[in-house]
Amino acid sequence: MKRRTTVLTMIPTLLSQASNDPALAAGQPVTPRDFWLPQGASTVAPEIDWVFHFINYINYFFFFLVVGLMFWFMWRYRQRGREVYARGPSHNTMLELGWTIIPTIIVVVIFFMGFKGFVSLKTPPENSYQIDVTAAKWYWKFKYPNGATSDDLYVPAGRPVKLVMRSEDVLHSLYIRDFRVKQDVVPGRYSSLWFQADNPTGQNEKGEDAFHWLFCTEFCGTGHSDMNRKVFVLPEAEFDSWVVEQGRWLDKVDEKDLWWKAGPQLYRACASCHTLDGSVGTGPSWGNYDGTGNVWERTKPGSTHKIDKGKNLGDIIGPGKEYETPEGYLRESILNPGKHLVDPYGNVMPTFKGQLSDRGIQALIDMMKNLDKFNKDGTVKAEAIPQAAGGAAGDAKK
Amino acid sequence: MTTLDSRPVATEVKDNYLTFTRGLLSWIFTLDHKRIGVMYLFAVLGSFFVGGVMALLVRTKLLFPGRVEWMTADEYNKAFTLHGAIMVFLVIIPSIPAALGNFVLPIMLGAKDVAFPRLNLFSFYLWLAGAACAVYSLMAGGFDTGWTFYTPYSSQYSAGGTIPVLVGVFILGFSSIFTGVNFVVTIHKLRPPGMTWFRMPLFLWAVYSTALIQILATPVLGITVALLVIERAFNIGIFDPSMGGDPVLFQHFFWFYSHPAVYIMILPGMGIISELIAVHSHRHIFGFRFIAFSSVAIAIFSFLVWGHHMFTSGQSPLMNVLFSAITFSVAIPSAVKVFNWLATLYKGSIAFNTPMLYALSFIFLFTIGGLTGIPLAVLSTDIHLHDTYFVVAHFHYVMMGSALIAMIGGLHHWWPKMFGVMYSEFWGKIACALVFIGFNMTFFTQFMLGSQGMPRRYYMYQPEFQIYHHISTGGSYIMALGFLITAIYLIHSLFAGKKAPANPWGGASLEWQCTSPPPHDNFATTPRVGDCYDFSAVRWDEKEQGYVIDTEAHIAAASSGKGH
Repeated sequence: MKRRTTVLTMIPTLLSQASNDPALAAGQPVTPRDFWLPQGASTVAPEIDWVFHFINYINYFFFFLVVGLMFWFMWRYRQRGREVYARGPSHNTMLELGWTIIPTIIVVVIFFMGFKGFVSLKTPPENSYQIDVTAAKWYWKFKYPNGATSDDLYVPAGRPVKLVMRSEDVLHSLYIRDFRVKQDVVPGRYSSLWFQADNPTGQNEKGEDAFHWLFCTEFCGTGHSDMNRKVFVLPEAEFDSWVVEQGRWLDKVDEKDLWWKAGPQLYRACASCHTLDGSVGTGPSWGNYDGTGNVWERTKPGSTHKIDKGKNLGDIIGPGKEYETPEGYLRESILNPGKHLVDPYGNVMPTFKGQLSDRGIQALIDMMKNLDKFNKDGTVKAEAIPQAAGGAAGDAKK
Repeated sequence: MTTLDSRPVATEVKDNYLTFTRGLLSWIFTLDHKRIGVMYLFAVLGSFFVGGVMALLVRTKLLFPGRVEWMTADEYNKAFTLHGAIMVFLVIIPSIPAALGNFVLPIMLGAKDVAFPRLNLFSFYLWLAGAACAVYSLMAGGFDTGWTFYTPYSSQYSAGGTIPVLVGVFILGFSSIFTGVNFVVTIHKLRPPGMTWFRMPLFLWAVYSTALIQILATPVLGITVALLVIERAFNIGIFDPSMGGDPVLFQHFFWFYSHPAVYIMILPGMGIISELIAVHSHRHIFGFRFIAFSSVAIAIFSFLVWGHHMFTSGQSPLMNVLFSAITFSVAIPSAVKVFNWLATLYKGSIAFNTPMLYALSFIFLFTIGGLTGIPLAVLSTDIHLHDTYFVVAHFHYVMMGSALIAMIGGLHHWWPKMFGVMYSEFWGKIACALVFIGFNMTFFTQFMLGSQGMPRRYYMYQPEFQIYHHISTGGSYIMALGFLITAIYLIHSLFAGKKAPANPWGGASLEWQCTSPPPHDNFATTPRVGDCYDFSAVRWDEKEQGYVIDTEAHIAAASSGKGH
């Protein structure tokens, strides 16, 4: 997008030496830090900064106008002697209408400038790379599509990134100042924001990894000011290998431990819709409801669990039927959730294709098979943990 | 209070309201609006001292970016919460209407008292009860929610004194409502013959607009804190999502009151400034009707903009757009007032008395406070600035640099009337300069802190911000010194101040036409009124060492439409 160069658009450019060069210079800000603003490092930053500086110049004008006139009048019309009565005009309708109407026009213009920037801030591109964010007292957790997690935020350069955020307790707010983005994280609902950073953070002059600060900006108690993290922007190829490496945690879990080590971790993404205690959620509970057994028991041959408006689940599972094994049905339900719908639920579940590896699906199905060994909150019961690994119960809870 | 009674009054010809009756009980059960105003004044100034000490503790901690041994994060959180809650609910909201308004309003109307004197005393005791709840909450563990009490932190996790302080806020709300009702009725019913709405001093227009907001908005605050107490005490889910509530709903409720409350704080201040600028310029206020109607306009618009506190809260983007657009409507009447004050200085005869220095400081500071509201009302820039020090700086320029500076200016303006004594003009000017310089050092740096991205309510911060914090804290010490000097010379004047004339500044409104201090009944007979901004009949009297007004000429000028 190219803006026509006018006198007004040049003013902030002259001040901040803003560069429109899209070269992906590592460590280079899109706009450098100036007297008012920190460096700008996202695609929306230059536009927002421009509006900020534009308002500033209007403000300088009116401030010096008001204060200049005030000091001039103070000197020019200072009291001389105590014979006091001063004759000045008591009103002037045209003048007063003038200083009512002119500011009105100015603020209408400013409103539209802010509105335009806000629309870009609120419209994530279709192909955004989604990262799930969990905020809690007092940490952030970032989860990538392949299941990898991290405490600091890593994002690919040159690609729109959408953060989908939830809170486990109180209000938090995610703020990356160099990207000029901020959004409250509200318990009980999802909120989101997006940004695109074109320049990788690279290294600073001391050879350390450079980064952008991420702050919590909604007061959340004792550790509020500890809730800051670093944001690293990696070149896309470097990011892709980073996220794969980071996602390997699942591969490192032993096959026989998948059900209690990996299952509960992955289940946390399912927990917002699927309860374990049979209570009603957005999706069918994995636990026993209506006396039909838990999710694994319901897929046994001959199951009369109702799906697709009146059919029996047992009719599609079994040798020669649509799914040879219950595992096949469960796998399809995760990767292609709209194909069969449990009554009376609608088609609302997103697909986890590309987000869950086969190993991840295996872990979830293994967890379903052992559902009686789990607490209602999705953590494994201490006594159910295999003896040899008893000491590692904490891992599973995490 | 008893010390006031023992003040030497030998020179007084007859009794004034301070000497009319004697003894502690005569104050405790007084129905005199002037005594109630004085009691409010000292109560509010006492709270201001406590809130100020909290601010200094917070600022001193912020000299250091990391942890300090003498103040934990929890203590810091309680200190800034206490600072905010005291300053908002105990100081700024009651300061001008309840303290100065109570004293001046009936006299400006030529009335003997407010319409409901008993209700007036009752609202003062409600204030005391609310303050007592706040003190009790400190003993019950304090509270650390910030003055905004956002849920679910406040309903589940905050410190043990949260319920008592919410009860206190509930009670203080009723104190505010009763004062508002009293003033609305008084202004409607007790204006003297000849004082039409457009002959009424602009301070009363402002107090009237304020009273309307107090009556209409404060009940919502009462309901909101009551719901919050119910949720916290009985685990009934209203705002807490883990019990099926909605935390954003709380923010809507809270700001539906608290945004109008911002104008409860600033409107009376603007009214004072209109008086101060006109009287000390000795010239007719410019554009009376525009100033008067802008007060009413601000009062109306104040109810329509609460959502601009919630641009990042997760309310719908459409709501954000609407609230942003409507917010700009508040900028217009505010700008109109500033231009009208400037035009009043034009061709005036400006006397740089201490109250006028505060009024001029107000114009300077309010201009900054108002203009920095623009990037906060603009959607795209507010996303960056929201919940940073930029917001802190902005509302301190408006709440303290404007509302509180106006209150202190008004206090200096009416101090001779209230207590019949003059304070030291020399020390008054020194203190005003210290407060002005200190204030700008403290809060202008916070604009840079905020726009550079430092979040508010942070116990620890990145070292890059330290230089700004050092300047800011230094400024706060200078400001504190200014207020300390003010307290000393004001108290000194009570005991050793020169006797004040009836009209030390040359005002033409009614309060300058009764003695200083006023008699118990204010006026022996209902006074006749002229144009209170017409100073053509005001003359300096060397013998009186004050100004005198030729009442006949004053009224004649008003009825002939001359004198502008």
